[in-house]
Amino acid sequence: MATLQSTTTVTTRARPRAAISRDALLKWAPLLVLLVLCAIFTLMEPRFLSIRNFARILIAASPALMVAVGVTFIIIMGSIDLSMEGTVSVCAVAFAFCFLWLGGTLASWAWLAIPFAMLVGGLLGFVNGLIHVRLKIPSFMASLAMGFVGTGLAMVMTGGDRIRIEDELFRSLLTERILGFPLMVYVAGLFLLLGWFIQTRTTLGRNFYAVGGGEDLAVASGLNVARVRVLGYTLAGVFFAVGALLAVGRIGIAETATGNNFMFISITAVVVGGTALWGGIGGVWNTLVGVLIVFVIDNGMVVIGLPGYVQDGVLGILVILAVILSTDRKSISFVK
Amino acid sequence: MSMEKLKPWFPWITLAVLVLLVGAVNPAFFKLSGMVALVADIVPLFIMALGMTFAIYIGGIDLSMQQVANLVTVVATVYLAQFGPFVALLCVAAGFAIGAVSGWITTRQFVPSFVATLAMGFIALSGARFLSGERALSMNAEARDASFGWMFGNTAGVPHELIIAGVLLAFAWFLQTRTTFGRALKAVGAGELAAVASGLKVDRIKILAFALSGSFAAIAGLMFSVKLSGGDANLANGFLILAIVAVLVGGTPLTGGVGGVINTLVGTLIVVVIRTAMVYLEVDATMQQMIFGIILIVAIAMTIDRSKMRIVK
Repeated sequence: MATLQSTTTVTTRARPRAAISRDALLKWAPLLVLLVLCAIFTLMEPRFLSIRNFARILIAASPALMVAVGVTFIIIMGSIDLSMEGTVSVCAVAFAFCFLWLGGTLASWAWLAIPFAMLVGGLLGFVNGLIHVRLKIPSFMASLAMGFVGTGLAMVMTGGDRIRIEDELFRSLLTERILGFPLMVYVAGLFLLLGWFIQTRTTLGRNFYAVGGGEDLAVASGLNVARVRVLGYTLAGVFFAVGALLAVGRIGIAETATGNNFMFISITAVVVGGTALWGGIGGVWNTLVGVLIVFVIDNGMVVIGLPGYVQDGVLGILVILAVILSTDRKSISFVK
Repeated sequence: MSMEKLKPWFPWITLAVLVLLVGAVNPAFFKLSGMVALVADIVPLFIMALGMTFAIYIGGIDLSMQQVANLVTVVATVYLAQFGPFVALLCVAAGFAIGAVSGWITTRQFVPSFVATLAMGFIALSGARFLSGERALSMNAEARDASFGWMFGNTAGVPHELIIAGVLLAFAWFLQTRTTFGRALKAVGAGELAAVASGLKVDRIKILAFALSGSFAAIAGLMFSVKLSGGDANLANGFLILAIVAVLVGGTPLTGGVGGVINTLVGTLIVVVIRTAMVYLEVDATMQQMIFGIILIVAIAMTIDRSKMRIVK
């Protein structure tokens, strides 16, 4: 697609070459939207542009960013994963139980609860992928049903109770700050880099694009698509687990409701960032920008003092605008 | 080939097997009055699922339905005193308009319906929260009874809700099978490019399909609000996912062009039987959600017709 466009820009001699190519514009449009939003909010309320406020935005965004990065891989494949609310809840609760059982402080063996939660996330993702691939159920339905199972499982484990994590060492994710930003922001940053590494530097990452770009072609070139899909869902599950850990770190409570609202927020963010739902385009940096757009709007509306109900509407309009701006109308004939 | 012929009946078979299983374990399930009450109870969900069928039938999805229903509960409550029974028209018009805008954004602006309707849902929610002043409103009991009291009456033991559902089902079924619009919907769902090539005004058809799903969401919202005698920006929450599940379990796949409103009837019944069965079988409340999910996977795996899907995404 990209090569096709660049040839057309070369052949149309009428316009000077110096004009910014549409490709570049499309690539940077989400970032542009983010910067414009920040500029508008800063103009209306200078306090928006402060480290304190940015820390607030990033704290709120970190768990969602991890979940969104996980689902990015799936969306690049042209599939979708709606199981995140259940998976996040189960991982949060599993972490909390394991953590308290092993001593309740990071300074003891209880640190094992962290890899354990990621293992649980990976396992749920693996099952999700298997159901989707082996039973040939479209990912939308398979993952939606797995989400129910996850939320239900978390409910069974907790019996509806909340579990408090009061270990100061673990809560230092939120309380300990470096350069004004709490540790959880750096943890999220590290995992974002890991996601970027997987996306660009591993065979699996490249295979996601191969599957999303054209599954027929991927199969014909001998790619084991079923394996790539299952691995993709497993990987997404691990990222959901990281999101769960950060969510627990942020509020200090693990419960069935820990996973609430992650589904729409993360998918909105991925799409706003410019990763197309039909697959093959986008990546984790797009997702970072998308998540920031969503949370900057959320925060900016409060900072400039607009009533709560305006936020939803503005977010809705911006989501539509962002997708319209980032869609190349010439390359698609219709959308579903 | 008998397998091929049997496939369209899978949802029916699933439903029958479920009903028999539950009935065998607990015969009280078969009591007629209980069953009628049970079915009458899910009419709003069924109406929402009917509307969703149109969106999914053309290969799209409508995620704004829940918020449209929320908005309508508020609209109905706020304007009931002013307009009386005609508030229903206002509600349906609001649903139709929101659906049409979603459809316009999807077709003319090339925003996938998943995103377009999700975003329109946010906008509707915004409207609902604004109009309700972020409070739970309640209807004037007299005005409610005068305008919509008939909705919850009985004629010869048949609840009027069921009659409403029946009329809407007949209307949707007529649209789907007996009108050129219905055939065009199928053409768009089965292969949009082919539909364009054969000269159908695909944009208009899709916009109308989303407008229909919006209207049905509005009717469902109106029923909620009359039933609960009030309006609130969160009243219909939780019904969106169930409506989607009902459509999918009934055998209308997300790829479009297959299934239809009768499938949705079966799908809704399957969902309800599963939910109720757990009460009858005395499944622990905390376990219900998980078991629902597992049965859902089994039901979908058994129900969906994969012959029309080349690649399972």
